[in-house]
Amino acid sequence: MRVKRLLILGPTLVSLFLLQSYFWVPTFEDQARGDPGRLTRYIETSIGDASILNPTLAADSSSAAINSLVFEGLIDRDFDLTFRGRLAEAWEIFEEAHLLVDETQSLPDGSAVTGDGLLRYLEAARAAGDPALRLVRKIELLPGETRREQIEVAAPGAASGKPDRRQVGVTVRLPARLKFTLREVDQDFFATLDRLLGGYTARIDPTRFVTAAEPVVTRERAAALAPPTEHNPVVLFRLRKGIRFHDGHEFDAGDVRFTYEAIMAPENLSPRVPDFEPVKAVEPRGRYAVKVTYKRLFEPGFGSWTMGILPEHLLNREALKAEAIRLGRDPEKFSVRDSRFNRNPIGPGPFQFAEWKTDQYIRLTRFDRYFEGPPNLSEYLFRIIPDLLTAELTFYAGTSDAYAAQPHQVERLTEDPRFQSFSRLGLGYTYIGYNMRRPIFQDVRVRKALGMAVNVQEIIDYVLYGQGERTTGPYPKQTEFYDSTVRPLAYDPEGALRLLAEAGWRRNAEGWLEKDGRPLAFTLIANSGNEVRKAVMVIAQNAWRRLGIRVETLTLEWAVFINERVDKGDFDAVVLGWAMGLDADIYQIFHSSQTGHFQLNFVGYANAQADELMVRIRQEYNQERQVAMARQLHRVIAEDQPYTFLFVGKSLVLLDRKIVRMVRDTTGSARYLPIVPDKLGGIKFHFTQWVKTPQPVLTAN
Amino acid sequence: MGRHTARETRPRDATVSPARLAWRSFLRNRTAVAGMLACTLFFVLALCGLVLTKGDHPILDPRQVRLVDKFRPPLSLPTPRAVAPEALPRLGIYPLGTDELGRDVFARMLEGAFVSLSVGFVAVGIAVIIGIALGGIAGYYGRARLGFGTVRLMTVDTLITGLIDVALSFPSFFLILTVVAILRPSIWNIMVVIGLTSWEGTARFVRAEILALREQDFIQAAHALGVPGPRVIVRHLIPNAVAPVLVSATLGIAGAILTESGLSFLGFGVPPPDATWGNILSDGKNFLFDASWLTIIPGTAILVVVLAFNLFGEGLREAFNPRLRQL
Amino acid sequence: MLTFLLRTGWKKLWTLFFISVISFAVIHLAPGEPSQIDPMNPRFTPQQLERYRKAFDLDQPLHVQYVRFYRKLLSGELRSFKDNHPVMPKIVERIWNSLPLFAVGTLLMWCFAFPLGVASAIRRNSVFDQVTTVIVFALISVPGFYLSYLLIIFVVQNFHVDVIGLRTFGRPDTPGVLTLMDRTWHLVLPSALGATAGIAVISRYVRSQMLEVITADYVRTARAKGLEEDTVLYKHALRNALLPFVTMLGLLIPGLVGGSVIFETIFAWPGLGRLGYEAILSRDYPIVITLNFIAAVLTLVGTLLSDLLYMVVDPRIRLEGGEV
Repeated sequence: MRVKRLLILGPTLVSLFLLQSYFWVPTFEDQARGDPGRLTRYIETSIGDASILNPTLAADSSSAAINSLVFEGLIDRDFDLTFRGRLAEAWEIFEEAHLLVDETQSLPDGSAVTGDGLLRYLEAARAAGDPALRLVRKIELLPGETRREQIEVAAPGAASGKPDRRQVGVTVRLPARLKFTLREVDQDFFATLDRLLGGYTARIDPTRFVTAAEPVVTRERAAALAPPTEHNPVVLFRLRKGIRFHDGHEFDAGDVRFTYEAIMAPENLSPRVPDFEPVKAVEPRGRYAVKVTYKRLFEPGFGSWTMGILPEHLLNREALKAEAIRLGRDPEKFSVRDSRFNRNPIGPGPFQFAEWKTDQYIRLTRFDRYFEGPPNLSEYLFRIIPDLLTAELTFYAGTSDAYAAQPHQVERLTEDPRFQSFSRLGLGYTYIGYNMRRPIFQDVRVRKALGMAVNVQEIIDYVLYGQGERTTGPYPKQTEFYDSTVRPLAYDPEGALRLLAEAGWRRNAEGWLEKDGRPLAFTLIANSGNEVRKAVMVIAQNAWRRLGIRVETLTLEWAVFINERVDKGDFDAVVLGWAMGLDADIYQIFHSSQTGHFQLNFVGYANAQADELMVRIRQEYNQERQVAMARQLHRVIAEDQPYTFLFVGKSLVLLDRKIVRMVRDTTGSARYLPIVPDKLGGIKFHFTQWVKTPQPVLTAN
Repeated sequence: MGRHTARETRPRDATVSPARLAWRSFLRNRTAVAGMLACTLFFVLALCGLVLTKGDHPILDPRQVRLVDKFRPPLSLPTPRAVAPEALPRLGIYPLGTDELGRDVFARMLEGAFVSLSVGFVAVGIAVIIGIALGGIAGYYGRARLGFGTVRLMTVDTLITGLIDVALSFPSFFLILTVVAILRPSIWNIMVVIGLTSWEGTARFVRAEILALREQDFIQAAHALGVPGPRVIVRHLIPNAVAPVLVSATLGIAGAILTESGLSFLGFGVPPPDATWGNILSDGKNFLFDASWLTIIPGTAILVVVLAFNLFGEGLREAFNPRLRQL
Repeated sequence: MLTFLLRTGWKKLWTLFFISVISFAVIHLAPGEPSQIDPMNPRFTPQQLERYRKAFDLDQPLHVQYVRFYRKLLSGELRSFKDNHPVMPKIVERIWNSLPLFAVGTLLMWCFAFPLGVASAIRRNSVFDQVTTVIVFALISVPGFYLSYLLIIFVVQNFHVDVIGLRTFGRPDTPGVLTLMDRTWHLVLPSALGATAGIAVISRYVRSQMLEVITADYVRTARAKGLEEDTVLYKHALRNALLPFVTMLGLLIPGLVGGSVIFETIFAWPGLGRLGYEAILSRDYPIVITLNFIAAVLTLVGTLLSDLLYMVVDPRIRLEGGEV
């Protein structure tokens, strides 16, 4: 019967056709053989797709990975973490400092203060070798200037009760100023100078120079508009010549200035604005030098120049307008963020952009005119696989070349002869934060006791499978700022109970701790989707339960967790982590001024000594002094325990053993070198030298 | 295939109620009966689980963390020196092994049994109640017109079938995902959301049945006797319309358990430390190579239970359908 | 017939309107912000956050947002929060990816469901029927992602072959037989898994329809007339049993969006389901609402199509002009 035959043949034929396609597909064994080009390709997997291939606009790690290969910054970090020049050949850091001439005062020698008078007085002191002026190269007198400005003022609204904001016009009459050019940056320059001048600086009253029609000029506002003293650090970069972008155009100082302006332009909505906000001006000095002046002392600002530089000729006003017209969009509203450049970047880096299929992959190819010579690999592929298990399977099948192992897999995978492994310590740390606004956490003994009750080593051994290290403070362990003499809290539940008893907490009849009739109870929150933090929460809860503390736990979805609870200070204790950078600035996390809603000191930590250290660290350009202060800050914070500092994770990266570095010696023949991790544990430092050999060439390490 | 000759209705069967006929037909379907038995077993297991694992000091503790004893395979013994005495498993052995935090998988599965069951029941309960209510109203009061004053907008029937259409039009898993991703993560939210997105089938069936039943003699008789409307619905119509509801309820429980495990996989399931089979399974997937029992056990359990409900429900459907029945 | 069409069409329009309102309202109950703005960045100030909110219209009252949003959606100008790209081209691109998966899945579904259902009906209660019943139900009772992983691991460990993604990654995409076969191979697992649920459900339905028809009077008549069993079954019974499936064709269309989130995530398939899931995670409102909207529209189109086909196929409707 025709129909019957159809019913049987149908599925049979379809399945046969589908299944036979297996025989056409490259397998793990055949892959390298049937497709020799595979050996010159490097394939990496990632859970998330990149979003914007523009280093000034991107905020996620996937985009950053691509941008680091396509773009170059003025500087980056060397193998041992010191700064080294990339697009910049060399640089010089010094300072320009300004001091107002206040003619109502008099000098220590009795004479009235005038511009020339003050200048001569100080030049004389310098000639005499006064130590306060030892860094001064030059002193100049600048004339006064007048300007009008609008300031925003809050006034109590009449009917609504909410403060009105309105603009008030003010006139700023700056008197003459002295400009000091210093050889180095010195945050104490004016303090020491004032000793020489008998307290002159401290007595300058800025309100004299700012007038307005209404009485809105407070001392603070005046000091902001007409500062008595001003530090303007300067970085002078000397740029490399002959560097080309992927389209052949040559790199010069105009690109640096343009990059800065693109970041600061409000219509571009760049997330890097806070990094560059302290910059006052970026001025090219000829084609191959740039002078960057800062508004105030801010040492971490220098590290921001590791960010990739954009090509001006493709993104300046004219180029954007032309692009807008080509696309049929409004040229006035078209910004860098709208440009197709972000999906098709051009930079001076070792790899150039070839293709981007959203949520599938991004392909980069070798750039032959890279300033350090073309890389060995011909292609770099960034493949998006959102599921961890699947990514692992593609690694085993040979269709990806690297894999970040999970902690519980480390043991099994490091022993596998097919792979080589590299372990690195992370830059962030995990902690339990206590909300110091809650009465129970205001006693440091309670915080210490809570920390002593948790067996952190056990967490590292069992939750992280040994892939972690204890940390005692707010800095990454690999940096100089971390003080390794600070000892971690010992795991001592009995000691914790004694400490709590000292603080007045005793066991009641049911076995729970209480004081003045109130039990010691609170809620510990964390975000969902993070296995490790979930485990930490459960373990801490258990440990505290044994002490007699009633702890509830709650996991929340990230957006709710951050916006509704953490940022509003509406929590008791929280399990969280910080991802840190390489600079010493932790002002935003621990300074007492940063405790408002949506600010980062959400635990409400306030310590005057720590505050002062944090302010001085940000302003210190001398490496040795900065390191000493940072270590002291570490000790202060460790003593105070606003967090129980838990651990730093270690991560393990696996590569195919057939991937090695290749360099050519003087005779032109190839030499193979092993891949070695740098001080941070990264392995990509020599990425441009990587190759994949058909068979392993180096013996096992 | 000589069975169809036996389908002649014998005279004495005319006095047997349709319910008994359905039951007899159901019993002849061996797989369906096996399914029903498995469901009952699961029900009992879940209740036992509730009793055994509830409270602060349960008989079998699903929440006790023993980091030293993590990843122990099934039927292994605890390490006595390393585990504190109050943390030792009550049975002296880990029947189904331990998970990544050293928790007893057997105890967690028992706890999860009750939670999974209750997710299924509550979700389906909500769906059925809404379905019956709306279906009943549409079927019975369908012709009543809605409007204000003399302006007549539409009939009740149109309104409710319109609602059903709207509810049906949303891709349900996607909608569940959207809502669960927004609300606070908790068992109740998940149950309610699943229930709120699966009432359409029941409503349609009930409406169809009531529409058919409404014209029958015994209903006309009730009207003639002056029995008020709601009473007619509750006492006469709904009991007769129960058959399709039972079928979709049974199948609905199976679906709810599967949906919950799907949500756990995507990260939107019941939050810890509550255990459901769905989140034990999706937690275990990370350790597929290293501790495969953490996936095999809950996976198989879900498979068996859902299968049982499905077979049971299908058996019911066949039994209630007079055209498919065999005697 | 015309009145039927008009009435149906009018109802569908109202449904569409309510769908648009509901999907818009539901999303806006969320407290979070698009995740690209990371307030945890130590150098980000609250002023930055405000600026973003303004740029994305989040400060306007709800009804203004609604009007503006749908205007942008219908004019094709709507942009994703994540990368500021127009939403519609993204969705269209993803539809092209989901389409082969959907097509092969549907093909597998129909190819296997019918023979299975018919065979089960004919051999009711035999060993074959009981075994197939259990197997078929087992396939829909197992959690989808669990089965997927088991299959993937089995294939990768034993055959050392890639099963993830649209095609073997990194291979040059030169057109020809090789590429076609490569793509076909990568379709096999995900579409088969996606089809299992459908095969189970449809085969059961086919079975019950066939059973109903087989016991009907006219079939008995045909047998009594002495026709061959095969002719009776396949020519007469099957044709009538198939009537409802004609209308099911329309109802398959919404499957394009709805159920494949899990499979697409596991197989790294860049389709609509994954787009929706990732959009939900990152609170990318435009994409989520558009997808919900499109899914609902597709469903409406599907049911409209079903109604029309039903009308064509069932003479009773044509004559009476009413709804069933």
